[in-house]
Amino acid sequence: MNLNETQLLQAYRKMRQIRAFEDRVHEEFATGEIPGFVHLYAGEEASAVGFCMHLTDEDRIASTHRGHGHCIAKGVEINGMMSEIYGRRNGICAGKGGSMHIADLEKGMMGANGIVGAGPPLICGAGLAAKFQKNGAVAVAFVGDGASNQGTTMESLNLASVWNLPCIFVAENNGYAEATSSTWSVSCENIADRAAAFGMPGVVVDGHDFFAVYEVAGEAIKRAREGGGPSLIECKLNRFYGHFEGDAQKYRLKDEVKNLKQSNDCLKKFADKVLDQGLLNKKHLAEIDELVAEEIDFAVNHAKSSEKPNSADLLTDVYVNYP
Amino acid sequence: MARIITFREAVNEALLQEMERDPKVIAMGEDVIGGSGAKGEMDAWGGPFGFTKGLYGKFGDRIMDTPITESAFIGAAVGAAVCGMRPVAELMYIDFMGVCFDQIFNQAAKFKYMFGGKAETPVVIRTSIGAGLRAASHHSQSLYPIFTHIPGLKVVVPSSPYEAKGLLIQAVRDNDPVIFCEHKSLHYIQEDVPEGSYAIPFGEANIVRDGGDVTIVAFGLMVQKSMEAASKLAKEGIQCEVIDPRTTSPLDLETIVESVEKTGYLVVVDESNPRCSMAADISAQVSDQAFGSLRGPVKMVTAPHCPPPFSDVLEDLYIPSPNKITEAIRSLK
Amino acid sequence: MRLLDPPEELSRPIRVGILANPASGRDIRRVISKASVFPTSEKCNMIQRLLGALTVCGVDEAWMMPDKGGIATVIRRFGQTLEGKRLLPVQFTETDIMETPDDTRLSVRAMVAAGIRAIIVLGGDGTHRLVAEECGEIPMATLSTGTNNSFPELREATLSGLAAGLVATARLNLDDVTRREKRLLVEVNGEIRGMALVDACISADMFVAAKAIWQVEQLRELYVTFASSEAIGLSSIASLVHPVRRDENHGLAVQLGPEANQKVIAPIAPGLFAQLGVGKWNELQLGSSWTPNIDRGVIALDGEREIEFREVDKVQLSLDRLGPRVIDVSMALGAAAKHGIMLSNLN
Repeated sequence: MNLNETQLLQAYRKMRQIRAFEDRVHEEFATGEIPGFVHLYAGEEASAVGFCMHLTDEDRIASTHRGHGHCIAKGVEINGMMSEIYGRRNGICAGKGGSMHIADLEKGMMGANGIVGAGPPLICGAGLAAKFQKNGAVAVAFVGDGASNQGTTMESLNLASVWNLPCIFVAENNGYAEATSSTWSVSCENIADRAAAFGMPGVVVDGHDFFAVYEVAGEAIKRAREGGGPSLIECKLNRFYGHFEGDAQKYRLKDEVKNLKQSNDCLKKFADKVLDQGLLNKKHLAEIDELVAEEIDFAVNHAKSSEKPNSADLLTDVYVNYP
Repeated sequence: MARIITFREAVNEALLQEMERDPKVIAMGEDVIGGSGAKGEMDAWGGPFGFTKGLYGKFGDRIMDTPITESAFIGAAVGAAVCGMRPVAELMYIDFMGVCFDQIFNQAAKFKYMFGGKAETPVVIRTSIGAGLRAASHHSQSLYPIFTHIPGLKVVVPSSPYEAKGLLIQAVRDNDPVIFCEHKSLHYIQEDVPEGSYAIPFGEANIVRDGGDVTIVAFGLMVQKSMEAASKLAKEGIQCEVIDPRTTSPLDLETIVESVEKTGYLVVVDESNPRCSMAADISAQVSDQAFGSLRGPVKMVTAPHCPPPFSDVLEDLYIPSPNKITEAIRSLK
Repeated sequence: MRLLDPPEELSRPIRVGILANPASGRDIRRVISKASVFPTSEKCNMIQRLLGALTVCGVDEAWMMPDKGGIATVIRRFGQTLEGKRLLPVQFTETDIMETPDDTRLSVRAMVAAGIRAIIVLGGDGTHRLVAEECGEIPMATLSTGTNNSFPELREATLSGLAAGLVATARLNLDDVTRREKRLLVEVNGEIRGMALVDACISADMFVAAKAIWQVEQLRELYVTFASSEAIGLSSIASLVHPVRRDENHGLAVQLGPEANQKVIAPIAPGLFAQLGVGKWNELQLGSSWTPNIDRGVIALDGEREIEFREVDKVQLSLDRLGPRVIDVSMALGAAAKHGIMLSNLN
């Protein structure tokens, strides 16, 4: 498996965008300016980017409550996302969805989702649509270790197998469903082990390693595109923040996150590798870091200075038409 | 020339005509073909009630048997709808909605709003409702008020074969998610139904019978029962106006209010349980908008606040009957 | 039911390690081909059968690696059952599980420190290689539960457990029933970076990525310790041009590449045949060392891409017979029968 310079730069830029976006939302949330519930994806970037780099706008993904990373990786525009998180009228969902419901169907992003395990059935539908539309598209459901225990997920694995749908189920196992350890809540060693029960391949991949995810994702997606059917890929990874912003994370060990950031930071691992291999140089990365910082800065300022929805917006968009 | 067909045939014809018209229309559900993977014939059932019989022969892969997996296939129908298809999913009994409710009320119903208006979810979920088959509590409820409660959903309760065909065609063409409730006791009733395709718009009530003394609003099978009651009362000199709203969401309140302004009395006949029912809803709305026109209390004729029972004696007590409707109306005078 | 007590001079408690890799049989080859999935439940069953055999031999404790829930949980729960309590107790090493290959390395290190007298490994070539890096002189019994399984044996765990138990309790002469395996050592810039028990392959790939080798276009050089036509994996390529036995005192080097005129079809992974060009080959003598012909690429050890190297790196490979000391189960059980160990001298 080889990646050219453009692809490497793209991968780094996407991962950096997600990290910077989440770090900044974390900071801004603490000021009290961001309303509602926010769940951050920092630490898991290699998974979203490793998969979405293989996808086009015609391919669909369904995400989770921890959805910012999937949105950015799938090409959803950052200013629209930030405005949405701030509840502004120019947000990608006109301020009606918020962090947990960011969607952009034109980009094939079928929505973050406030319901754990809601994505897999929807992605079966997206896979089914692709089959009828004969456009060679695939559909990817991202779920967490929590959703891996939901009936909807199991049912979808079965249905995707029975209907031979071009679907990929990505279990992002970050070790915790809210405050409960996946070692306790998942009845088997690997979520991927469950694939065997549904007659599909199950693969465990190091979710901290972009290159490993990218390769496995590429093959699973290629297989689905060629009519080979669904697969279940488990990315073992970690989240750097709590379940939600404001989570004191007392269920974690004191230095757990600090250690993870040192030993298992997918961005750092990526940077170390490409620098060590001489594939990119420090200037490349520094330029991206700087550019991304500016983008995020702009997005935050833009969101803060944007207007909020007005009272007339309350009742629009409930139906396409309603007499 | 009249062409008399059953409710079942009318629904079948609507599906067939819509699938012929638009290749984006697909159908799915448990045993909607019947026979997938088995050694005998395909299309053995054509749906648990035979409503989709023959579609497999005509449309092949566009109709799909599903495993018994309501969460997954209702979710898949919703997902396919948001991705450009027009799925018609059949969910045998509305009582089974509990296992896939999330896909309906959190996903399908809310996409458009949550995504800032940019999503359309043209999915139809056909389901059977109603008591009378001695099928007990898990196969007999009339839960359409639950769906009516949810902004983003449209809910249809057809009352006859003619109504079923036109409303289903509209449901398939509609760009919002639709719950289409077919009463089991209507399946084999017959009437004159045009062969050609026609759509009955949502939110336009049908005045089934004109009358100046009392307004009866009824849904689905209850329209038939109300008509029986109205005929009886007509002999006593009481002229009932019977209104079939056709859809509980959107609801044509205007027609109801106009009628109440004329008659001064309102009886709502609803087979669902009374609390937070269509009967309660319409009573409240009419009280709000036409209180001055009311010359007596609004009467609700509904099933009692208990699950549908099994024993025939009990079930007959459970279902609103023409007698109960006439009693309610007589009590007003 | 157990054998007579072990020789008295043996210091107690007698400990045996069991290293079962929970991640084996889960890699990308599930998507690429129809590679087997070795279910956790069967790994647990095997361990329970091993515990039975070790108990019969009079081993005092089994030591295992903890994990994030699967195998360790099942074995702990088994230990609480009536059946489990009749068997020897299981201790878990205090390893901080990170779900990386280091889990295996650190856990084996802890077992070695605890004085285990034998170790039983459940996994594929990769798992055995990791254990071999740490277990030194401690005899190893091998059991195949991975994808690429040229090194470990496909065998009933009860018998492997019995052989390991007999060795651990000093009832058999170590030199009679074990053999020292060959290994390929990889050094980069003077530092040992890894070893292979079966094959080391140089690929013109750029990234370790998903590790398992499944594409052959980029493969350039193959080095093997042994090459059996019964083996699955890259060593099967070598076996087609010049088989080498485990007990022979040489290995083999084979040039690979699209420009080579001789083409072979080889089963490079379960369910996966590859056609590739094979060029010159030559035997490698024990003690010899060499450098790869390409100056940038990836080195795969026993079928898994492990080491990335580039122009500035000085890479050296060498072949010796300082690999793990592997228990030959056939010989061990044969010797046990011959010496009457399983006869009449029972407790």
